[in-house]
Amino acid sequence: MSNPIIEKIDAALVDAEQRLAAAASEAEIEKVRVDIFGRKGLFPALSKEMKNVAPEQRKDTGIAFNVAKQKFQKLLDAANERLNAGTAESDGEEIDLTLPGRRWKVGRKHPVTKIIDDAVAVFRRMGFIVASGPELETVYHNFDALNTPKDHPSRDPGDTFYFADGRLLRTQTSPVQIRVMESQEPPVRIVAPGRCFRRDTPDATHSMNFHQIEGLYIDEDVSLADLKSVLRAFAHEMFGPSVEVRLRPHFFPFTEPSVEYDFSCIMCEGKGCPVCKNSGWLEIAGAGMVDPNVLKNVGYDPEKWSGFAFGMGVERLAMLRYRISDIRWLYENDVRFLEQF
Amino acid sequence: MKVSYNWLKEYVKIDCGIDELAEKMTMAGIEVEAIETAKLIPDGIVVGEILERNQHPNADKLSVCKVFDGKDELQIVCGAPNCDAGKKVPLATIGTVFVDPESGKEFKIKKGKLRGEKSFGMLCSSDELGLDGDHSGLMELDAEHPAGTPLGEIFAGDTVFDVEITPNRPDWLSHWGVARDVSCLFSKAAEMPEFSVSIPASPENNDKLVTVEDRELCPRYTARIIRNVKIDESPEWLKERLLSIGLRPINNIVDITNFVLHELGQPLHAFDLDLLAENRIVVRRAAEKEKITLLDGTELELQNRHLVIADAEKPMCLAGVMGGLDSGVTDSTVNILLESAAFSTANIRATSRELGVSSDSSYRFERGIDWDMVETASDRAVSMILEMAGGKLVTDLADVQGQRPEPAPVSCGFENIRKLIGVEIENAEIVDIFSRLGLTVSEVTPEKCVVVPPQFRLDVQREADLAEEVARIHGLDQVPVLPVVGKNAASIADDSYLDYENLQNDLISLGLYQCLHYSMVNEDSALRDTRFNSDDLIKIDNPLSLDLACMRPSLFGEMLDTVERNVSRKNTTMRLFEMGSVFCGNSKLFPEERVEICMILSGQRRPERFSDELKETFDFYDIKGMVEALLERRDIVNYKFEKAVDGRFAPGQCAALLIDGKVAGHLGMLAPEFTKGLRTEFPIFAAQLEAENLLEGKTGNIYYKPVGQYPSTTRDVAFIADNSLEHQKVIDFIASARVKNLEKVEIFDIFYNKETLGVDKKSMAYTLTFRNPERTLTDKEVNGAFEKLRSRMAAQLDIELR
Repeated sequence: MSNPIIEKIDAALVDAEQRLAAAASEAEIEKVRVDIFGRKGLFPALSKEMKNVAPEQRKDTGIAFNVAKQKFQKLLDAANERLNAGTAESDGEEIDLTLPGRRWKVGRKHPVTKIIDDAVAVFRRMGFIVASGPELETVYHNFDALNTPKDHPSRDPGDTFYFADGRLLRTQTSPVQIRVMESQEPPVRIVAPGRCFRRDTPDATHSMNFHQIEGLYIDEDVSLADLKSVLRAFAHEMFGPSVEVRLRPHFFPFTEPSVEYDFSCIMCEGKGCPVCKNSGWLEIAGAGMVDPNVLKNVGYDPEKWSGFAFGMGVERLAMLRYRISDIRWLYENDVRFLEQF
Repeated sequence: MKVSYNWLKEYVKIDCGIDELAEKMTMAGIEVEAIETAKLIPDGIVVGEILERNQHPNADKLSVCKVFDGKDELQIVCGAPNCDAGKKVPLATIGTVFVDPESGKEFKIKKGKLRGEKSFGMLCSSDELGLDGDHSGLMELDAEHPAGTPLGEIFAGDTVFDVEITPNRPDWLSHWGVARDVSCLFSKAAEMPEFSVSIPASPENNDKLVTVEDRELCPRYTARIIRNVKIDESPEWLKERLLSIGLRPINNIVDITNFVLHELGQPLHAFDLDLLAENRIVVRRAAEKEKITLLDGTELELQNRHLVIADAEKPMCLAGVMGGLDSGVTDSTVNILLESAAFSTANIRATSRELGVSSDSSYRFERGIDWDMVETASDRAVSMILEMAGGKLVTDLADVQGQRPEPAPVSCGFENIRKLIGVEIENAEIVDIFSRLGLTVSEVTPEKCVVVPPQFRLDVQREADLAEEVARIHGLDQVPVLPVVGKNAASIADDSYLDYENLQNDLISLGLYQCLHYSMVNEDSALRDTRFNSDDLIKIDNPLSLDLACMRPSLFGEMLDTVERNVSRKNTTMRLFEMGSVFCGNSKLFPEERVEICMILSGQRRPERFSDELKETFDFYDIKGMVEALLERRDIVNYKFEKAVDGRFAPGQCAALLIDGKVAGHLGMLAPEFTKGLRTEFPIFAAQLEAENLLEGKTGNIYYKPVGQYPSTTRDVAFIADNSLEHQKVIDFIASARVKNLEKVEIFDIFYNKETLGVDKKSMAYTLTFRNPERTLTDKEVNGAFEKLRSRMAAQLDIELR
């Protein structure tokens, strides 16, 4: 004697098996589940039909009903498992392990940023914190307060970008020194990485838009020996302990004594090569003891406080570390370049 | 500046090698940037005396010469036109090895036979020896050299240092000045050659010779007259000195003034006295629009701010900068007026820069010269002129001078010096360094001394300047390296970079590559960001080119250029960002300087994979997901995306990001006008965000929420709705319904089917998760809440439940 409920169940089982075998997403499996177990699905509908079943068949039908529920659940579980595990791999079948994995792209910093971040990390360990200032600066902060003579060539519109209101694009990160000293009492220990601008025609080693890292340390009894020690520690952390360092007399309006700071050439280890023009040394930083006039300009007493300042070119460090031959690559933003760092 | 090693040795004995000297000079602040060593004359080349010249029997153009090499008479075949008997010429004897400077190939002189005549050596031209001079024939040597003298002794070969002189040390701008410092380094006295000028017995009246109208611009002017000079070539040694530093010899008078400039650092000018109207000098400001033609042919129209050296009628020289075309000595000059003067440094610098004219003279005057050297240099030049060009000095020094600068005494505390340079150095050694440098030391006590700098060291004005001298001469290599100790380190909370550094790291963690662009852009590029008008831009007064004439108001324009550049190089998959300062001149829009972030996403989602995965391309939800991930990284919770209209983005795919209800940026597909013509099949997505809104500290602390221990129950709701119904509206509706125990709502399906659902309709399905933190929920209470929500949705949203 035919039982319409069992027939419907059997038909639904065949249909579900086919649909689940073809299911390629959890959503599709979920649809099958809803069609069977959902509120408007097969079982709620069949439950309503139970009352129409002949009493002598009710028990068998009930059992078949429950067995079917389990079968459906197994089919659903199997389908879910298949989908979750992928395809044949779930059986432990051998796969080509050498095919490329789905790479989680991690991104990369620009080489200029890498140098800044590494340098900042080194200086932070030595007790410096980072300070910053505007790129659009006043003549006072960029030149006057830094003891730059009124007719100094660097002020020339041929060298510095000006705006109609008389302000300028900072030519160095040194104005940050002034801003920091104006806003706090000594001691001061800061580094200031940032963009600077000079009216240089771009070529392989010049960019009108470049970065510097400024350093300033003001306290009682700060000496040239402290400057040498800090910059030497920096050299060793950035380029390894085999790098030698030297100070050389120089001149800057905002420091006295002034020095230039050289690293032994990291290309040839000081033997002489085209990068160091056969001198064995690379010019890295301008530095010196902060000029008493600068201290006076920010209201510090030069009799009580002394300090050192330094400034170095970030692009140059990046070019040395990554052996980049032309500064313009740093501003080309070619994906194949950016992916390398 | 070029410094000749041989020249330098005239004033100071140097007993170390060239490289060591260069190193010492560099470490004392006279930075040697390059060392040029003249090519050495090969061994074996000697002075040969041609005794006889005979025609070669078999060749018209060859001669057979008999040449004396100091010992033997040699037969040599020569092709030069000037191998005349009696001349002394360079002779390369048998065995001499020449090295070709280009190829490095060696070439050895051997016994030979030319057209049947034997030849035992080679007579040389200057060219063959790598020397300057006439290349058309044999090099003719002075008769005074005995035959057999090695040529290397006559042409010793000079070494020239290319040095960079810092602007604070004009006293180094001469050989004498460098020698003075070198002498200090070696503790050896520097000696100036002896010279003297005897006062004319019955001098001509020089009262009217010089008139200085502007004493401020010309604090000192001296002049002398020498009559009956003979203009001629300079002697070899003088020419050699000038050639060694790259100057072309002209005639004896001009060469002497050039020599003295480079010897003593004092620029001089020799006038042809007879070309000066009324034979006198007037130092005055130029008349407005007064014209002058300079030595180099430059024609200038001058202004009142320019100083000229004039005669009674017209300007002859641009004072201190360059002589006029008709001011100088010519072959027919007989009487000269020799100028030696001092000018205002600022005025010379301004004039030189303004008019674009500079010279060895202006270079020195604008840095400042030694007041006392004005007279010394005049003496030196006069003594040389009288010796080399004859003539007679007929006037006393006409000297119009103002106040001689008085170097101020500087007090020097020994301990202060030691503290500043960090070196333990004895008082006596400090004093010794000052003395060696020519500074006058007095009032020495155990604590301090008083130092008076000489005229040529007016840069020494303060104790710090003295510290520099001690550090420099004692040696910066003597500065010790100390352990780096930090007292009073500031708090990291005051670090102004940390926030941005972290933000940058978060952007990189999204898989983006960082770009850097110039801060200056052209106006067209700037205005591609449609938020700005031309008036909002901050423009540079003196841009390098119009291409870079304004400050970027946004990172957008430059980023588009980078997209174009990469697409043209077939880099069509791009995951890029930049973070940097942007500038706005309209305070109603933005502050003047702020930090912005621009992200770009385009191309394949999985370029490293294969088959179907290769076809996956980035779409709007990828860039949105990136922004969402960034917000999560920044612990920002209170945000939402709203549909927006913005010229930067395509109309249907542009969203505004709102944080705490305020616009913090936009994202979407680039507007078609920016991608038209780009050779990429992929749509390009961008996001522009305000960094300020993403900094930590804006978002507050994170507080722990208890994690529910009891099981959750889910219910699904599916419905058909108009296409226009936004997901956010459904979410907001459910949230506003405040359904009891509802933990979260997630969309799990959305599909479109014109046949079964109808046009402009879609099916949406959500899973609702219910949980109670304190107990297991019963089916009944969940069903109750769920059914209530369903009916509210059916009633209030325009949907058809399924």
